[in-house]
Amino acid sequence: MSNQTLLSLDSLTKRYGTVTAVEDVSAAIRRGELVSFVGPSGCGKTTLLRLIGGFIRPDAGRVVLDGGDITALPPNRRPTAMVFQNYALFPHLTVAQNIGYALAIRRRPRAEIARRVEVLLALVQLQELGQRLPAQLSGGQQQRVALARALSLQPKVLLLDEPLSNLDADLRVQMRAEIKRLQRELQQTVVFVTHDQEEAMSISDRIMVMYQGRILQVGTPSEIYERPATAFIARSVGAVNFLEGVLTNGTPGQATVTTSLGTLAIRSVAEGVGSGERVCLVVRPETIRLGPPDNGMGSNRVLGRIVSSMYTGALIRYSVGVGATRLTVDLYDPRHTAVFREGDQVTLILPEDPHLLPGTNAE
Amino acid sequence: MPTELLLDRPARLRDLRARVQVRALPTALALLLVAWLLIFIAVPVVMVLARSLAAKDGGITLSHFATFFGKAYFLRSLTNTLILGTGVTALVMGLGFALAFLVTRGPRALRFPLRAATLAPLVAPPYLFGLALIIVGGRRGFIAQLLGIQIPIYGWPGVIIAQVLSFLPVAFLMIENVLQSLDPNLEDSACDLGAGELDLLRTIIVPLASPGLLKAALLTFGLAIADFGNPALLGGGLSFLAPDAYLMITGEWNAEMASVISVVLLVPSLAIFLAQHYWLKGKTYTTVSGAPAASEERSIGPWLGIALILPCLAYVAAIMASYGVIILGAFTKLVGIDNTLTLEHFVKDVGPDAIWTSVKVSLAAGLVSAVVGTGLAYLCMRTEIRLRGFLEFITLIGFALPGTVMGIGYLLAFNRPPLLITGTLAILVLNMIARFLAVSLEAGVSKLHQIDVSLEEASADLGAGVLTTFRRIVLPLMSSAFVAGFLFTFMQSMISLSAAIFLVAPGRLLASVYIFNRARDGDMGISCAMSVILIASVAVCLWGLSLLARRTGMRILAVRT
Repeated sequence: MSNQTLLSLDSLTKRYGTVTAVEDVSAAIRRGELVSFVGPSGCGKTTLLRLIGGFIRPDAGRVVLDGGDITALPPNRRPTAMVFQNYALFPHLTVAQNIGYALAIRRRPRAEIARRVEVLLALVQLQELGQRLPAQLSGGQQQRVALARALSLQPKVLLLDEPLSNLDADLRVQMRAEIKRLQRELQQTVVFVTHDQEEAMSISDRIMVMYQGRILQVGTPSEIYERPATAFIARSVGAVNFLEGVLTNGTPGQATVTTSLGTLAIRSVAEGVGSGERVCLVVRPETIRLGPPDNGMGSNRVLGRIVSSMYTGALIRYSVGVGATRLTVDLYDPRHTAVFREGDQVTLILPEDPHLLPGTNAE
Repeated sequence: MPTELLLDRPARLRDLRARVQVRALPTALALLLVAWLLIFIAVPVVMVLARSLAAKDGGITLSHFATFFGKAYFLRSLTNTLILGTGVTALVMGLGFALAFLVTRGPRALRFPLRAATLAPLVAPPYLFGLALIIVGGRRGFIAQLLGIQIPIYGWPGVIIAQVLSFLPVAFLMIENVLQSLDPNLEDSACDLGAGELDLLRTIIVPLASPGLLKAALLTFGLAIADFGNPALLGGGLSFLAPDAYLMITGEWNAEMASVISVVLLVPSLAIFLAQHYWLKGKTYTTVSGAPAASEERSIGPWLGIALILPCLAYVAAIMASYGVIILGAFTKLVGIDNTLTLEHFVKDVGPDAIWTSVKVSLAAGLVSAVVGTGLAYLCMRTEIRLRGFLEFITLIGFALPGTVMGIGYLLAFNRPPLLITGTLAILVLNMIARFLAVSLEAGVSKLHQIDVSLEEASADLGAGVLTTFRRIVLPLMSSAFVAGFLFTFMQSMISLSAAIFLVAPGRLLASVYIFNRARDGDMGISCAMSVILIASVAVCLWGLSLLARRTGMRILAVRT
C-alpha cells in the first residue's frame, strides 16, 4: 500500500436549510486503503459519502480525485461507484443484467459484457445465479450482486453506505471478511460508512470518527481505541471507565495521578499536561485485573466489592464498587479464571499505562 | 375456587351476548346492503344486457347487434370513438408523464404551482373546457366576432383538446403516484453506473413504472370513450357512441339500440376493469414502502428540460385560459363582445334553482354513500361475514362502468313498478351512490387496515359490548374515512353529467345538466356563471379533502382504479 493520497476532501460543507450536515470537513484518503466514516446517525457520514459520489453538491469546498477536481461532475461522470444501504438492485433486471448494466449503458459489445459479468460473478462467488431476479436472492446474495455491480467499472474509489446493516448478525461478520478479502485482492480504495464501531474497527485500515458534521479524529483502529482524542470518542468505540483526578507528579517515570480511588502510578504522561492539572484516565474494562482480596502487594491495587456480574460466554462483565465509584471490569475466559459472586471482596489491579485526557470527563 | 367462577360468569354472559349480536345484527344488515347493491348496480347492468338481446316476441335475438354492426353510421361512431380514445390516451399519457416527472423530480420551486395547475380541472364539470373552447373559438365565439376568422374547433381538434384537459388530472395522479413510489436509490445507482438522463428514463424509470403507466392509460381510454359532454358539445359533424346512445333515448326512444351501444361501450370498460382487478393486481414494482418521501431534485439537462416543460406550460396555460374565460364569461354581458361587467347571469333564469337541486342531491348521495361505505367496510373487516371480495367487486363495477351505461340502465330498470322512481330526485341520488360508493368503501377499508384490532379487543376486554365498542372506539377513529367518502361523492355528484342527463325528468333541474343544456343552446353567460358557482363549491370540498388527507395521511385522490 502506498501512502499516496488518491482522494482528498477539501473544506467540504453541506447545509440543508438551517441544518449543517457536513461542516468544513477535510480529509485525505490514500490509494488502496479502506477508510471508515464512523459515527452516530445524523453525524453527516452518509452526506459526506454522497458528496464524494456526486449525488449532492457541496455548498463549499472541493472533492479532488487523483489530482483532478471532480466537485462539479455528476455521478455518471465520476470514477466512483457506490453500494447502497438497500443495495438498489434493479428489480426488473436479472443478476447478470444488473452487473452488466454499466457496460451496457456504454454500449460495449455483448460478448465483452458477458465475459466481464462472468468474471465478476466468480469474484463474488455467485456463478450459478446470473439469470435470477434480485427478488429471488437472499440478503447476502443481493449484497454480493451490488458489490459486483459497483466493481464492474473498476472504480477508483468504491463507496459503501452501511452495506451490512440489513444483514443478520452472523452473515454480517461473514460479509465483513468478504469485503476485506475483495478489497485486498483488488487493492481497491474503499470508503466505508457505518454506525457500528466494531464493524469499523475490524475492517478498516483507518477510521474517521464523525460527530455533528465534523471529523473528530483520524487514526488506525488501535489508535482510536487505545488513544481516543476525547471522552466522546472513547465511549463511542467500546465500554470504558473514566477516572477523574489531578496529576500530582508529572515527572516521567514517577508520574502519579490522584483519583477518588487513591493515588495511581502511571508510566507516561501526555505532552502538554503539567503537574497540578486536572486529567481524566481512560481505562478499558479488559485492562483491569481482578484477584482475591489478599492478592499481595504492588502498585495500583485497590479493594472493591462485586456489585453485579453479567455472563456473556467469552467474558464476564463485573460492576465493581470502590467507595462511591463504580468500575466496569471484563474478565475473559471465565472457565479458567476465578469467578466471583455478587458481594465478594476483590482486589483490582489498575493498568499503569492508561490513556490520559487533559481536563475532565465533562469535556 | 368459587370466586373465580363467580367472576367468570358475567364475562361469559357478555361474551355470549356479543356473539349473538355479531351473528344476528350484522348478518341482517349485510343481507340488506347486498340486496341494495344488487338492485342498484347489478340489475341496471343486467337490464341493459337483456334489452340489447330482447326480441319483440320476448325471445333472445342478436338482431339489434346485427343492425348496429350493419349500419355504416354506427360503425363510423365506433371507429371515431376508438380513434378518439387512442389519441386522447396517447396525449394524456405523454403530457401526464412529463408533468409527473417534473413534479416528482424537477426543481422544487416549480413543483407546487405545477401540481396545483395540473389538478385544477378536477373541480370542474368534465365539459367545462369544451365550453371555454366554444366561447373562444366557436361559431359565435369572440375570435370569430373580433377577427372574423373561423378556427376549426368543432370536430377532432376541439373534442381532443377538451378531453385531454378534462382527463389529464386523474392520469397525472396515478403516474405521479407511480413515479413517487420508485426508490430514488435505483436512479442514483443507475446514474452512478454511468447512465445519462435518457438512459435513466429508458432503462429504469419507464420499465419500472410500466404497470402503473398501463393502468393509467387504460383508465384514460375508458374515460375518453365513455365521455358524453365534450363530444356532444364539440363533435360537430362527427358521431361518437356516448352521444349516439343519448340520441337514441331522447330522440326516438329506441331503447334496444341504446342498450346495444351501452353494451359496446361497456365491453372495453369491463375489460379494463377486469384487467386491473386481476391481471395487473400485484404487478407493481413499488420499491418504497410507506409514505413516499419528497425526492431529491435532479438536474435535468437543457434538451430534456425543454422537451418536458414546453408541453407542460402549454397545458397549464390552456387550463388557466379556460378558467379565465369562464370567469370572464360569468361576469360580463357577452365576453369578448360586450365586456360590461354584470351579475345578471347569476340570477337570470332558473340557474340558482338548478344549483340548489344539485346541492340537495349531492348532499344526500354523499351522506348515504359515506354511512353505507364505512358500514360496509366495518362489516367486511371486523365480522365473520366473508363478503369483502364480493362487495369490493360490485361497488368497483358501479364505479368503473361508463356513466352513460348506468344512466340508461337506471332508465330501463326503474321505470315501472315495483320500483317506479324514474323522474324523481331519488333516482339521481341512488345512481350517484351506486357509482361512487366504491370510494367510501375503499376509504373505510384502508382506514380499518390502519386501526389495530387490539384497540377493539382492549375495549371489549374492559367490558364494552360490540355496539359500545363500535360507537366509542371505531366510529371516532373512522371519522376521517367517513368525511373522505362524503366529500368525494358530493364532489363527483355535483359535476357528473353522463348518467344524470338520462335521469333528469323534463322540468326538473340539475346544475350539471342545466349548464350543459344552456351551453348547447349557446347561452354562454348563464353556463359560465353557473359553472363558477359549481366550481367554487367543488373547490371548497377538494380543499377540505386535501386538508383531511394531509392530517390523516390518507391517500384519497390516488383512487386505486
